[in-house]
Amino acid sequence: MKGIIFNLFEEVVAEHCGEDLWDDLLQRAQVGGAYTSLGSYPDAEIAALATAAAASRAVTLPQVLRWLGRSAIPRLSARYPAFFVAHTSLLPLLGSLNGVIHPEVRKLYPGAVCPHFDMSATAEGALRLGYRSARRLCHLAHGFIEGTAAYYSQGVEVRHLRCMHAGDADCLLEVCLT
Amino acid sequence: MSDVILPAHDALVAENALLRRRLERERAARREAEEIAERGLRALYEHQRQLAFLEQIATAANQTRSVADTLRFVVQQTCAFTGWPVGHVLLTEDRGGGQRLRSAFIWHASDAASVAAFRAASEAAVFDPGSGLPGRVQQRGTPVWLADIATAPWFFRGSSALACGLRAAFGFPVLAGADVAAVLEFYTTSVVPEDATLLGLMAQVGTQLGRVIERDRTQDHFHRASHDDLTGLPNRAQFLHRLDHAITRSRHDAAAQFAVLFIDLDQFKLVNDSLGHAAGDALLIQVAGRLGAALRSPSIVPLGVTALARLGGDEFTVLLTRIATPDDAVGAAEVIQERLRRPFVIDGQEVVTTASIGITTSSNGYGHAVDVLRDADLAMYRAKSCGKARSAQYHRAMYLDAQHRLALESDLRRALRLDQFVLHYQPIVSLASGATVGFEALVRWQKAANTLVYPNDFIRVAEETGLIIALGMWVLREACRTAHAWHSAPGARGEKVGISVNLSARQFAQPDLVEQITRILRETGIDPTTLRLEITETTTMEDAERASRVLAELRALGLRISLDDFGTGFSSLSYLHRFPLDLLKIDRSFVSRMDRSGEALQIIQTIMSLARSLGMEVIAEGVETAGQVARLRALGCDYCQGYFFSRPLSAEIAGSRLKLPHHSPPAELVD
Repeated sequence: MKGIIFNLFEEVVAEHCGEDLWDDLLQRAQVGGAYTSLGSYPDAEIAALATAAAASRAVTLPQVLRWLGRSAIPRLSARYPAFFVAHTSLLPLLGSLNGVIHPEVRKLYPGAVCPHFDMSATAEGALRLGYRSARRLCHLAHGFIEGTAAYYSQGVEVRHLRCMHAGDADCLLEVCLT
Repeated sequence: MSDVILPAHDALVAENALLRRRLERERAARREAEEIAERGLRALYEHQRQLAFLEQIATAANQTRSVADTLRFVVQQTCAFTGWPVGHVLLTEDRGGGQRLRSAFIWHASDAASVAAFRAASEAAVFDPGSGLPGRVQQRGTPVWLADIATAPWFFRGSSALACGLRAAFGFPVLAGADVAAVLEFYTTSVVPEDATLLGLMAQVGTQLGRVIERDRTQDHFHRASHDDLTGLPNRAQFLHRLDHAITRSRHDAAAQFAVLFIDLDQFKLVNDSLGHAAGDALLIQVAGRLGAALRSPSIVPLGVTALARLGGDEFTVLLTRIATPDDAVGAAEVIQERLRRPFVIDGQEVVTTASIGITTSSNGYGHAVDVLRDADLAMYRAKSCGKARSAQYHRAMYLDAQHRLALESDLRRALRLDQFVLHYQPIVSLASGATVGFEALVRWQKAANTLVYPNDFIRVAEETGLIIALGMWVLREACRTAHAWHSAPGARGEKVGISVNLSARQFAQPDLVEQITRILRETGIDPTTLRLEITETTTMEDAERASRVLAELRALGLRISLDDFGTGFSSLSYLHRFPLDLLKIDRSFVSRMDRSGEALQIIQTIMSLARSLGMEVIAEGVETAGQVARLRALGCDYCQGYFFSRPLSAEIAGSRLKLPHHSPPAELVD
């Protein structure tokens, strides 16, 4: 996992819950905590931190990850505005994930393993994102989608039609503007 | 206590604030470092991508694919690299001193249908220097960026581009030396500010492509030097080159014995003259195709087809390098003859052409390619002289014969220079009156005081070398001069005696024939009505239209025309109708056989009745017996000439004969 995710996690925790909690989480998760955005760190560390956060706040792990994704978007959009201003709404930005955003990620982080989303539109105008990754971070993606909708002041409903956490072979998110 | 603790507490707060500020500074420094690193990584990534792109272009440029294929590949790769959906190639054409650009019809479009209108507009456009985006690129010789098509009125394809959703463009030149050989232009669907890095990269792509074009021009130059423009076949130089290799190999490798087939079309000149040069060229291209197909036939392929070349004109050569025996080459020649036998269709017209093929093989022991070609040529010549559509194998006698011919040719040239030719005159007798009404002028070569050479021994070589033109004109002039002298001699008969002179095909083909003859008539002062030109069928066959015109012009001068060899060649009725002829001559072969061959007699009868119905007179030559004279008279023949009446006579004796009132054979003989 890229360091930037750890940085974002730290920033949103510090902003919303105070810096002490982040220190607390680092300790509970028994991780070093010195993360730079350009570095790569074990996937297990982000899982341990999220699990620690869920425990300390008495919420589920999926809730933590969704919250992380949702809260990280304002920071991501401040740091990488070009990806966001290129569009005026959620779905076109999602459409540019495979072709624009992830290639850019790979520029910055050679060897970065970015997920590929199989996208299809439904007859009702919803977007379906197929996701398959050993990290199983569909809830983080869910949160990112919600945060991006908020960035464009749009309402959105995300449903997990299939989910690896529910024993499916892959995840299928349906994104529906409300 | 609190006094003690409070300051300590304040100090802790102060220290905490200090540490927090330090932490913020460190964090800010880390962020900045990360950003710097990010920019570096991005630049590195871009740089590596550019290098990979350029490497790909360079690899394509170094491959031996065609210029068009390379351009197509580069357009496609550039679209992939830039993410710009549309790319187009234009080529420079030289037209009337100016250079302009036109579509090369090479495109890449990720969604072809959506840009069809722009494509059509681009393919219809012509770009003068400075005109539109390609014209600007060409004029400057450097890449040009157009950030927004909507704000560039000079971009004259603007409306169709915008209608197809295209907004930004760039173009770059392909420089071959100092020339802009081509321009590549690319389009995308959004406004894009100028990207100097990208333009720099594209300039490099242009340079790479320039190398491809230069290489292609060099190869083209090389190809042209070694190949025939018309048919694309190897030319003489290239054939000799390959033949040299074959000679070397044949010495070391018993299995690598070779044969050369020298192919010459039999009726090519006829096609060229009657249908025009374009038709002739079209025929040569088709013949080249048929030859190529023949050489791919299963019976020839195993013989090691190493070259099919066009030496020039209607001459083709084939090199086979795995023949077992000379018979293999003969077999190949038969296949080729067979393939050429089917009529060709040129401009909707059927054209039949056969070929004469000369063959020589490595068994004759060659050291030099030119010798092989010479012998194959000699064999071809032999094949042709035996009739059309034949093949002949070289043997040494041909070489000796050729040597003899060469010697004869130089002797003939000298003879002309030294005035060694003389004319003898054979009387032409009217069967009605028995009087000598004319003479046929016959050329002899007084090679030495006691050596008189007859035409049979030199006319063919004179014909082939073109010497006949000078010789023929000399004969005509001399005959006219002599006849005029007879006519104006004291005591000459009231009725002027006629003079017949042979006109060869080569002479007849002279474009200024009529002028030359007019001049001779004027200079010699001869009465034109006494001059009779004798032509043969072949003289008129090559270009019947011209022949007809020339003959009419000659008759308008007052001359009379006779056809020398009617019945021996392709004689046809339409032929007789077509040409303004006064007299038909019955060939000596019919006359000599008329006593014993009913067929010969019948032919003579037929000729006679044809001539009668067409209002022509008839003369028989080679008349040697009284019986022949009687029969010819009975058949209604007008004139005779032959040994029965007189051998050819010298000018003096012939002139004195004119003073005699009547013919009284035998005459004085001179030869």
